Amino acid sequence: MKKHTGASDSLLQVGVLVGALVLALLVGAGLILLARASPIAAYKAMFTGPFSGRYGITESLVKATPLLLIGLGIVISFRSGILNIGGEGQMIAGSLAGAAVALALPGWPAVALLPLTMIAGILAGAVWGGIAGWLKACLSVNEILSTVMLNQIAFQLNLYLIRGPMIDPQEVAYGTGCPQTALLPRSIWLPRIIRGTRFHWGLVIAVAFAVLVYVFLWRTTIGYRMRASGAGPQAARAAGIGVENYQILAMAFAGGFAGLAGVVEVLGVHHRVLEGLSGGYGFSGIVVALFGRLHPLGCIPASILFGMLTLGADMMQRAVSIPAAIVMAIQGLVVLFVVGSDLLIRQPDLLRRRLRMVGPSIAPAGGAAGGNKEVNS
Amino acid sequence: MGAISGQGIVVGILATGIRLAAPFLFASLGEMFSQRSGVFNLGLEGIMMMGAFAGFMTSLGAGSPWLGVLAAIGVGAALGLLMAFISVTMQAEQGISGIGLHMFCWGLSGLLFRVYLGFITSCKGFSPWHIPVLSHIPVLGPILFQHNWMVYFSLLLVPVSWFVLYRTTWGLKVRAVGTTPQAADTLGVNVNAIRCQCVVLGGAMAGLAGAFLTVGQANMYADNITAGRGFIAVALVYFGRWSPMGILLGSLLFSMMNALQLWVQVLGISFPYEFAVIMPYVMTIAALAVAVRRVWAPTALGKPFRREAG
Amino acid sequence: MRKYRVVIVVILAFAMLIAAGSGPIYSAPAKKIRVAMLMASTIDDMAWSQSMYEGLKAVQKELGADKLEFVTSERMGNPVDAGAAIRQYADQGFDIIIAHGAQYQSVLMELAPDFPKTTFAYGTGFTAAPNIFAYDPQAQEGAYLMGMIAALMSKSGIVGIVGPVESGDAIKYNYGFQQGVAAANPNVKVRIAYTGSFGDIVGAGELAKVHMDAKADILTGSAQQAVGAARAVAERSGVYWMSTDMDQASLAPDHVLAAQVYHWEKVVKAIIDYRAQGILGGKHLTLSFSDGALELRYNPKLVSKIPKNVLDLVEKAKQGIISGALKVELPKKK
Repeated sequence: MKKHTGASDSLLQVGVLVGALVLALLVGAGLILLARASPIAAYKAMFTGPFSGRYGITESLVKATPLLLIGLGIVISFRSGILNIGGEGQMIAGSLAGAAVALALPGWPAVALLPLTMIAGILAGAVWGGIAGWLKACLSVNEILSTVMLNQIAFQLNLYLIRGPMIDPQEVAYGTGCPQTALLPRSIWLPRIIRGTRFHWGLVIAVAFAVLVYVFLWRTTIGYRMRASGAGPQAARAAGIGVENYQILAMAFAGGFAGLAGVVEVLGVHHRVLEGLSGGYGFSGIVVALFGRLHPLGCIPASILFGMLTLGADMMQRAVSIPAAIVMAIQGLVVLFVVGSDLLIRQPDLLRRRLRMVGPSIAPAGGAAGGNKEVNS
Repeated sequence: MGAISGQGIVVGILATGIRLAAPFLFASLGEMFSQRSGVFNLGLEGIMMMGAFAGFMTSLGAGSPWLGVLAAIGVGAALGLLMAFISVTMQAEQGISGIGLHMFCWGLSGLLFRVYLGFITSCKGFSPWHIPVLSHIPVLGPILFQHNWMVYFSLLLVPVSWFVLYRTTWGLKVRAVGTTPQAADTLGVNVNAIRCQCVVLGGAMAGLAGAFLTVGQANMYADNITAGRGFIAVALVYFGRWSPMGILLGSLLFSMMNALQLWVQVLGISFPYEFAVIMPYVMTIAALAVAVRRVWAPTALGKPFRREAG
Repeated sequence: MRKYRVVIVVILAFAMLIAAGSGPIYSAPAKKIRVAMLMASTIDDMAWSQSMYEGLKAVQKELGADKLEFVTSERMGNPVDAGAAIRQYADQGFDIIIAHGAQYQSVLMELAPDFPKTTFAYGTGFTAAPNIFAYDPQAQEGAYLMGMIAALMSKSGIVGIVGPVESGDAIKYNYGFQQGVAAANPNVKVRIAYTGSFGDIVGAGELAKVHMDAKADILTGSAQQAVGAARAVAERSGVYWMSTDMDQASLAPDHVLAAQVYHWEKVVKAIIDYRAQGILGGKHLTLSFSDGALELRYNPKLVSKIPKNVLDLVEKAKQGIISGALKVELPKKK
């Protein structure tokens, strides 16, 4: 199942990705013109912003952390043949459970409370994702339907809890009633790596998990079976693999990672649960997984790149005062162009053939890469 | 409850439910054709948003909601074409291209709204058309026959879709392409052409659904007007098991539950409102989970068609 | 040559780091006040965010564009993005950063100590800090008056509230409205229902229709979703809308009876004045009738429909609120 790609293929793949990115930005330039701003000034802000001083770099990494964690979960689910679009809800579930545990046991020492909080977050996310997996495996409820619904349910449940049972008592005392929980005990906040910024140890945790996921998927039997279930359910079934069970497991893993992302956001950034905490990461995480070629280690640079892109786009909007809507539009364009060029990336032969038609000198010589049968869901 | 009778409440719930079902019907029936042909279009939400925007702006500018509906259909079809190009021609992963399309449309509609208008205002919409005679029937009249034409049209599309899907050659091709594309190809059906047609049709209907929100329901436009309805519409296609009747049932169930929760709240029945709001979602999952387990899905759904590949 | 270049680059990089680390380098010489505002919705939401935007515009008009510059960031619903935006504005040396929403309290509390020379403000809120102002519209005050009008004007004896989510400003508003209704006519019923969303105007419109089907003839509601409800009210005759945050009469000129208008320019000017005195924060700023930041505005087209005695009663209550003789309670749960 493993892909064998030559160096020239990798080069070509990177070339196609960059090309897609450039085309997307060109179309985006049209939108910026429409908003009566200079695309050059805008893109300058977008690409230099994330590198300008420690602020840009650290904020990109702050964004990359949940993206990487969710992306890892998506990689597992995707490889197992199930698409998890419930990351938002699972992230909320994780953050709520983590906060509930941390707030319920305030006196506990950090060495015990911190892991407990994280485990609670992971478990809650895993349950929330696992429900969708179980519904699919046992009751044949499509996972897209159930995760869309579960996202809505988690969203409302979150609102209910953080303005009702879990609300910060101070908010009630003063009558302002802002929906948020009390601050978590300071002892379990994830320390900041650079003082004066929000860059916290969550990224290190996420990177460690990326390595673990790689080992899990490619070096363990369960991982192999999960990938086999995704690559060809019929064949896997014939080989005696209980595809359904592995799908439940895959959704639980995906949910667990999203839940961890939620609890890490709470411990590292906000220190409490508040509204809008999931902030679209559940969806962006899917894009990160794709950017990372559905490989856990690929997700590391992909999440950082995407973190920089989104931060840069935000900074661009402020630098040239254009409506925030443009940021979303350009992100959408990037996704569309990148996913649209996927065919050429997956099958470099196809591109090479086309290039040969245009001009033989451009195309790198060399035989077709063997075993290009893509693992596709 | 004082001022309103029990019968009045039931009539109110049912009438509200039927009205709320219309946008889901438009969008889900369109998506049904896409999925029947094998293409899963998750970008429905975004297309609806653009349709809502186009419908609103045209109605505002030209003063005619009818032109608004046409514009929305056109914009929806164009976006459907874009989705078709990416997911059918370029064989991209459909779920992700759908999310990309959604993000693009959300951003674009917000941008265009700011550039061309920049303030919230109301536009001309359709007023209810009380069907003569029928609308006077007690109970049934107010429930079924006192809506605007788009509501009737959405209901009419159910049998029309059924007919197109099961009783025309084109419908036969659509079903063939979605289940056994290789066989259809051998028989000389142009698989990708049929799929493109279906996605464009689905886009046009999503545009129509969006127009319903602006010129048939709210008579105004604001940022993120669809508020997740497009995703629900996709889910309802699965709920309805890719059949027009199933989709009708699903849309009605979901909307009736929604109408019920609105009425429950308004009548002051003590209940945490968050649970009222999530009731339709929970019910939909529950209804699906307890329904008959045998599920039929287009077997080639989500799989790009490659002729040379085996 | 190349070595020098490397050295220059390294020096530049260090300079940038130091500049970024040492907080605002923007200093006194330029007299222009630079204000940044960020919000969860958009500047054209016809409610909470737009009212602040209009307030900033009014102050700018008064002081002159050469004295006050302001920029905005919209759709900052995600607290991580909001934190990034606030930090960037602070880094760029903006003098006053207004994070227009209760949900930004947490992020400001954390950021503000890093930028001791910058003034931050947020609301609805109560917790201030040395360089953070918390502002707090007394939404219940106007709501009380609107509740009185609604109770005295309702023919069916039922008035409806289309709520977004039961929190913050909306709780205060709804609570005040109920008290106003009860004070004016205890037989009038108030029905409250929530859409569960701040921005779903279609949902709010449907909720308003259900209210009207259930015989409510005067409706009100807060947050940006309310515009959908106001529009739905405008579709039916004999039903009125009471608007809050902003005057929404432009949406339904024949149906908006009265509006509670927030005069944010008072808040913005107070912050600017405090800053001029060297006070960067630490105060809890309220918007109330007594300080003139709240206004009860009747729709000139419809004011003739309100009986004289109703207008008088409302005016009396308003004076009572201003003098402190009339206290509008806030919910105290648990």
